[in-house]
Amino acid sequence: MIEVKTISKSFGEVQAVKGVTFCAPDSQVTALLGANGAGKTTSLRMIYSLITPQSGQVLIDGIDPCKEPEKARSLLGVLPDTRGLYKRLTARENIEYFGKLHGMSDEKIKSRTASLVADLRMEDFIDRKTDGFSQGQRVKVAIARALVHDPQNIILDEPTNGLDVMSTRGVRAFLQKEKERGKCILFSSHVMQEVSAVSDEILVIHDGVVCASGSEQELLNQTGKDNLEDAFVHIVTDGEGHE
Amino acid sequence: MNKQILTVMRKEITDNFRDRKTVMSSIFMGAVFMPVMFVVLMNFVVGMQKDKAEEQLELAIKGIGNAQSFISFVKTKGVKVNAFTGDAKKAVENKDEEAVIIIPETFADNFSKGIPAKIEVYYDASAKGAVNVTQKRIKSLISEYSRTIGMTRLQLRGISPILLQAIIIEDHDVSTAQSKGAMFMSFLPYVLILGLFMGSMYLAIDTMAGEKERNSLEALLLNPIKRSHLLIGKLLATISFGLVTLIATIISFKLAMPFMPLQDLGMTVDLGFKNVGILLLILAPLAVMAASLQTIVATYSKSFKEAQTYVNLLMFVPMIPSMALMFMPVKEKLWMMATPVLSHNLIINQIMRGEQVAPLSIIAAIIGSLFIGLILALVAIKLYNRESLLFSD
Repeated sequence: MIEVKTISKSFGEVQAVKGVTFCAPDSQVTALLGANGAGKTTSLRMIYSLITPQSGQVLIDGIDPCKEPEKARSLLGVLPDTRGLYKRLTARENIEYFGKLHGMSDEKIKSRTASLVADLRMEDFIDRKTDGFSQGQRVKVAIARALVHDPQNIILDEPTNGLDVMSTRGVRAFLQKEKERGKCILFSSHVMQEVSAVSDEILVIHDGVVCASGSEQELLNQTGKDNLEDAFVHIVTDGEGHE
Repeated sequence: MNKQILTVMRKEITDNFRDRKTVMSSIFMGAVFMPVMFVVLMNFVVGMQKDKAEEQLELAIKGIGNAQSFISFVKTKGVKVNAFTGDAKKAVENKDEEAVIIIPETFADNFSKGIPAKIEVYYDASAKGAVNVTQKRIKSLISEYSRTIGMTRLQLRGISPILLQAIIIEDHDVSTAQSKGAMFMSFLPYVLILGLFMGSMYLAIDTMAGEKERNSLEALLLNPIKRSHLLIGKLLATISFGLVTLIATIISFKLAMPFMPLQDLGMTVDLGFKNVGILLLILAPLAVMAASLQTIVATYSKSFKEAQTYVNLLMFVPMIPSMALMFMPVKEKLWMMATPVLSHNLIINQIMRGEQVAPLSIIAAIIGSLFIGLILALVAIKLYNRESLLFSD
């Protein structure tokens, strides 16, 4: 479970996040929906303690990442916005490296990698050097290495960005499966269909604050619209339909 | 040691070892190319000088008939005389002849009257190497002839030629064979230090700027490992590449020694096991300094190319003391021995001159460079801990 209490952060004069509060429980997919520059990535980076919030608090299964960063990180599996791999290493070696940094034993890494390979369908390229991988192959490896330690909490920043239909479906099915295993999944996106397809709870983030939340149906009811895109526009423009 | 640090170090070494460019440019360039190039160049230069000095001298002379006695003198010295016709200046300019001698028609006349007779010598003083040897030999031949004739003339007039020599110079060169060798070998400290810098350079760039460029840094930082441990692992990998290159360079120099024409230059450079040991002992701590310095510079760069530019500039740092010492000899003092790079230059020069290196100097050099190296490593860790590390573009 990820709890976020009024976190904020500014870079110089720009206040990127101004008091974001929410809770992402286990066995649920929570989506952060927002336009580019709404504060999604900065919020996520504070949650996975890459940057320190100027105010507020984050709790990962009750652990404060500011106080115990290493412990909090071991409870998290994160697919960040940037997902570069080590090109001279094979996909398997990329995953193993992160497994070792998590302090896993060789056997554990081996069995976990095998199950990730099966779930994400990476059999064809798992032992190839990652140089020249397609976008879809790269994202799969990046997800696998992020989740090699089988964390309870999964954070993904725009997970299907740049993926084709088949890869997107593969990733969605994988997330669904992880949810059924009782994981807490938090992801950010600016793609309506995506959010609509996989999330149980939607947090609309705009201008550094969460301005609406609820299931897709609840958001449609609140705004009186019949699709998520119209509802989103309604929410971020205060019902005016334009900025 | 911490297991995570080892994991990082092992990964960086494997990763970079697979990059042929890194291995070639660091280990090969530093350790193999430099000594080989040196052996080849040294042999070439020495060989050329020697050949010219021993080779039968051939003289192109215009107006042979004008100075029969000079020609026969020259022939007794084993010189082959070729008659020359044509434009002397052009022949030298076009490099058809290294030098041309012209004996004017007035020669015999002036000679018999006892007036200084003129011989013209055409040569190109700006020409490199062998030509200068030929030119010197020609001039010394002519002055020898001139002196012989002059003495004969004085004796004929009943004057002792000894009177001409008011002063005798007696040379006392105190340089030993080794210290002459040292002049030739004064490049060695620089080559060894350069090898060290070259060896760790690519690792520093790849583990820092490379990680940013291939967008893998953020994911790496999300692992439950302290950033300081992460950096120490990377630094250790970088240092190890520097050390490997250093050891390879020293070994290949030792192997190359027999092929260097040191005997011909009258030098003996002793690279026995003791001296090799001293070299390793004083240079190894420098690897910490080189790697930390390069890592610091690479942290500030966001791309491989940018880092490469800055790190390459760093190579000039160890060049400064080497260059300075080549031109101005100093008397070694203890503070100098504690100054990294400077101390290495001084100690290596001492070894090359065949002097005993004081143990205190070695200790000072080791402590001095380790101290500076560790401070720089701490700075690198501090920089790596910054939140803005990811956003420094």
